[in-house]
Amino acid sequence: MPFNRLVRTGLVGGIGVLFVALVGLMAKVADINLIGTQVTGAYTLLALVPFTVGYVAVRPRVVAGQIESFSTARSVRSGAVAGATAGALIAIAVLFTDRYGVDRVREVFIQVDPDLIELLSFGQSATVGAVILIVGGGALGAAGAGFRSLNPSQRRNLGMAVSVTLLMGLLQRIIPIMLVQLGLETDWLYSKVTGGLTWIGAAIVFAATWGASWFWARRGRTAKETIRTMTREQPGTRLVAGVALLALLAAVPWLVGSVISDVLGTVMVFMLLGLGLNIVVGYAGLLDLGYVAFFGFGAYATALLTGATLNTTTGSAAPALSLDLNFYIAIPIVVLLAAGVGVLIGGPVLRLRGDYLAIVTLGLGEIASILLASNWLTPLVGGPQGMRNVTDASIAGFSFRDPQHFFYLALAFVLMAVFLSWRLANSRIGRAWNAMREDEQVADAMGISTTRFKLLAFAMGGAVGSLGGALLAVKIGSLAPSSFEIIVSITALAVVILGGMGSIPGVVVGGLVLIGLPGLLREFEEFRLLIYGGALVSIMVLRPQGLVPNIRRSRELHEEDRSQDKWAGDLSADEQVAAPLTPLGEGSG
Amino acid sequence: MSAFERLPWRRMILVALSVFIATFVIYGSWKTLTLPDGKAYSGAAWRDFVILGIAQGAILALIALGYTLVYGILRMINFAHGEVFMVGAFGSYFFADAYVKSGFMNRHPIAALGILFLTAIITSVGVGILLERVAYRPLRNSPRLVPLITAIGASLFLQNAVRGFFGTNTRGYPKPDILTGSWTIFGLEIARIQVVVFVVSVVAMVALQLFVSRTTTGKSMRAVAEDPEIASLMGIDVDRIVVMTFAIGGVLAGVAGVLFALTFEQVNFFMGFRPGIAAFTAAVLGGIGSIGGAALGGFALGLLQSLGPALLLTGIGVPSPFQLKDVVTFAVLVLVLIFRPGGLLGSGESEKV
Amino acid sequence: MAPLLQIVGVQKHFGGLSALAGLDMHIDEGEIVSVIGPNGAGKSTLFNVITGLYAPDGGDILFRGESIVGLRPHQVAKLGIARTFQNVHLFPNMTVIENAMVGQHCRSSSGVFGSVLRLPSTRREEEQIRARAVQALDFFGSRLAGYRQEQTAFSLSYANRRRLEMARAMATDPTILMLDEPTAGMNPRETLELRDHIVRMRDEIGLTVLVIEHDMRVVKGVSTRVVALDYGQKIGEGTYEEVAHNERVIEAYLGTKAVG
Repeated sequence: MPFNRLVRTGLVGGIGVLFVALVGLMAKVADINLIGTQVTGAYTLLALVPFTVGYVAVRPRVVAGQIESFSTARSVRSGAVAGATAGALIAIAVLFTDRYGVDRVREVFIQVDPDLIELLSFGQSATVGAVILIVGGGALGAAGAGFRSLNPSQRRNLGMAVSVTLLMGLLQRIIPIMLVQLGLETDWLYSKVTGGLTWIGAAIVFAATWGASWFWARRGRTAKETIRTMTREQPGTRLVAGVALLALLAAVPWLVGSVISDVLGTVMVFMLLGLGLNIVVGYAGLLDLGYVAFFGFGAYATALLTGATLNTTTGSAAPALSLDLNFYIAIPIVVLLAAGVGVLIGGPVLRLRGDYLAIVTLGLGEIASILLASNWLTPLVGGPQGMRNVTDASIAGFSFRDPQHFFYLALAFVLMAVFLSWRLANSRIGRAWNAMREDEQVADAMGISTTRFKLLAFAMGGAVGSLGGALLAVKIGSLAPSSFEIIVSITALAVVILGGMGSIPGVVVGGLVLIGLPGLLREFEEFRLLIYGGALVSIMVLRPQGLVPNIRRSRELHEEDRSQDKWAGDLSADEQVAAPLTPLGEGSG
Repeated sequence: MSAFERLPWRRMILVALSVFIATFVIYGSWKTLTLPDGKAYSGAAWRDFVILGIAQGAILALIALGYTLVYGILRMINFAHGEVFMVGAFGSYFFADAYVKSGFMNRHPIAALGILFLTAIITSVGVGILLERVAYRPLRNSPRLVPLITAIGASLFLQNAVRGFFGTNTRGYPKPDILTGSWTIFGLEIARIQVVVFVVSVVAMVALQLFVSRTTTGKSMRAVAEDPEIASLMGIDVDRIVVMTFAIGGVLAGVAGVLFALTFEQVNFFMGFRPGIAAFTAAVLGGIGSIGGAALGGFALGLLQSLGPALLLTGIGVPSPFQLKDVVTFAVLVLVLIFRPGGLLGSGESEKV
Repeated sequence: MAPLLQIVGVQKHFGGLSALAGLDMHIDEGEIVSVIGPNGAGKSTLFNVITGLYAPDGGDILFRGESIVGLRPHQVAKLGIARTFQNVHLFPNMTVIENAMVGQHCRSSSGVFGSVLRLPSTRREEEQIRARAVQALDFFGSRLAGYRQEQTAFSLSYANRRRLEMARAMATDPTILMLDEPTAGMNPRETLELRDHIVRMRDEIGLTVLVIEHDMRVVKGVSTRVVALDYGQKIGEGTYEEVAHNERVIEAYLGTKAVG
């Protein structure tokens, strides 16, 4: 096992830990007790890194045409080296800070404070802490390498058990609430004192997951088959399942309480955005980075049409243009207008190629954001102070502003959008979009008006996005331009990408992970964008088809791995007289 | 084939749009220029706008060159280049802060500035190369959308990493005494920093042009830009050239970072975003893939940014027109891409999709 | 009777290169016309110009007497001119049947409303589209039938890909079918089979066919008329026999005879 490789892997792991510490995440999760008081978020992170380093460092690679294989002993030794290197890097940083002075380091890296150093040296002196880091790193690295030596089923069972247990610890803000609501006792599982799992509870979860994993390996396939045949042969099953799912969803607000319902409400607003963007990016393959424009349009148009007022320093004022329609009458108008705006903007812009289109839409989105906050448009939309008194979309006195009621309104809209997307995808229109996405020029030659279908996607996406904006307006009751900046476009994009482009369940998962988790775990709130950025890069490099991929897209994205006709690119290549692209340093081609 | 479908819709919309824009520009300018004396801009004010535009345009040009070089080689938009610029500024900040506190800055200003540029360059180049290695190289053969999305993610990540490390506060960037105040050149009083910005930028651009046209590496870069496969068959190490390109882009961005920080006397984790897009607009405006285009586009956009709001919006009564400076930038971007995607120096016809 | 498709003095330049330099030719209904010529003669460019991918720099193209210059490719397809490509351009990640169904796109019209609500008219249209697609695939016999139809286009053999591309073009219910080197890369048996298919296209379906071909066995076996191009111009026209003995054509392919 080449020493370089071990050291390199170790260093990468160590840098990762330092990064997390310096960016402030380590300190924030230090107080989350996952299990008991010993397994905190920070220490879990700290332990996972050398473990992963050990696991990755002994990954068998192909050398000189053969797959490497090592004895367990050698693996474990190598893992130890890699893990220890990671620990050593952290140790060096700790020792350095200790010698040089925490305050002086803090002048550059503001997150470094005595608490952090204490954390990283396990409450001991810097020197002892350093030793623990190196030795502990080595031990964990060895364990990681050893993990690889287990047979696959053992690995899966153990891995699942540990992951689920930690996850349960992480979900401490939601699961106890649900259990209490159902009338169950939770003290054995979640400690009221520490907030996290009790050791007994952790042990139970661990054993249960191990058992379930083992069972699934044995019987899981037949279970899946049975379900599949049942749904296919007895049509009633689908209906029953659908109704059951709906009933479950309807029970959610009651089950999780007001605070979490509020989070879920936001999740659903972004799911709606994701669904709309999914039509544009996922189905039609157009990268729209200015999606926030539709979101903002929907919100402000709804506000203006339903009689909201401008927020001024002296109270309220009437906007330059205002109607007092009922929410449910305003919505179709807003949606139609948004589609119209989509067509208007899309017209000149949609013939541009992928990356240019992205930048143009970015520019348009930014223009929208700036205008919403500008002094110029203040008489209409309230400028930096925004608007207030937005309708609560009440029907016969039932207001939807309350988080647990809002959930239902949002759910209704999301279900509509899901239905729309699903039907479109499986229709002639979806087929045309697929064809366009795979080869635009050929699709055109086969009779598909690419302009029309791009515009259609843009308009549909815009319509759904505006619904999201309308929902947000109702949820919060007031609007501020700071809610409508480019970060919304990027968040929606991240939701679609992480979940899987073109995949409706993907959008749901993406929304839950990217909006739900930071919403539940407030500690992560300020690192949301950092995580989004990291998630986007990781997904694109490691798994571009997303977490819950659409099968077709998955094939498309791995095409280059299987491509035979690599030269068969542009149609103009057929004749070998394509105009050359502009070379560097010269003007026109 | 109905008459309806045969109408050249696109041409008609574009013509209508151009007429609208032209009318707007002419009307707005006329109104501004005919404002009564109390409200109109003085000749001196216009002169200042022009000088400001040139100075800012120089910085934009430096950043734009980074975009255009990477685009020429990889046909991708390095969305995170604005952040490369930002880290350069930040990297030099800590030294600048230390130097001003110890007095070194004013005792040996040239040396101090030299070191500032050096640290900025090292930081920017480091980040740029890291970006290429981690985020872009694995995706060399992916469909176009993929690297762009990655770049967006990388941009977000870098911004927030810096925010996490160094905080959200805007830090004041010190300016050495020799750069405060102004010089009188050709009878015009120009801020010293603006002169320095202009001179340094032009020197950098000329150096780049010489490098690309005279050196072997530069020729290799041009070869790879034209056809990477054939270039590699000719013995050129494409990977090395790509890294080189990112490095050069990093150098220019680092220099731009220091110049920007000295001009505005502040750094902040978000400072790369708008200038990044503006610089990209400049690259597109001049003709993406072309060095001369990036330079030209930079200066042109700088002037548009400083003159635009003043000229077009004041007259028609838009309050706080300079709030909308970026609207001008983005409008230029959108319009260039709609009407002349090849840019000022590109061919007039739109690129075949 | 007026020709179905008329190409009048068509020119196309790329920078300094003249791909088409004043080409005149025509096709009558029911003909199978082969276009031959050395590489770079402008044959594929001709196809691209006819289908609207490029706009010609000069000249006109008349379909049923009306000019089709300036129309977008999908409009040309809808009028009834379909084509295949020199390098196969399928939709690789769609199934065989889906590829064929795309062909029927211009003959169907369900919009958003119908698609989302699955109106009876939309469902009927989908069935028709599918039936028509299957019909087009069945033209090639068992090769693209049955279980094959649910496979991704990517997984097909090379010859089957070419056949699928033709089926897809045929599914647009065209009047004229333009085939760009359909037998390129096929082995002799497949080539002869395809030759028979082309003839069947005219005889069984009534298509008018325009074929770019290099394989003279095919040209001889299918053509009512042969047009030879070189340097973007017509250098010979007539039956296969006439063109095969045309001196200019021979020279274009083989070069002038050395002295002696």
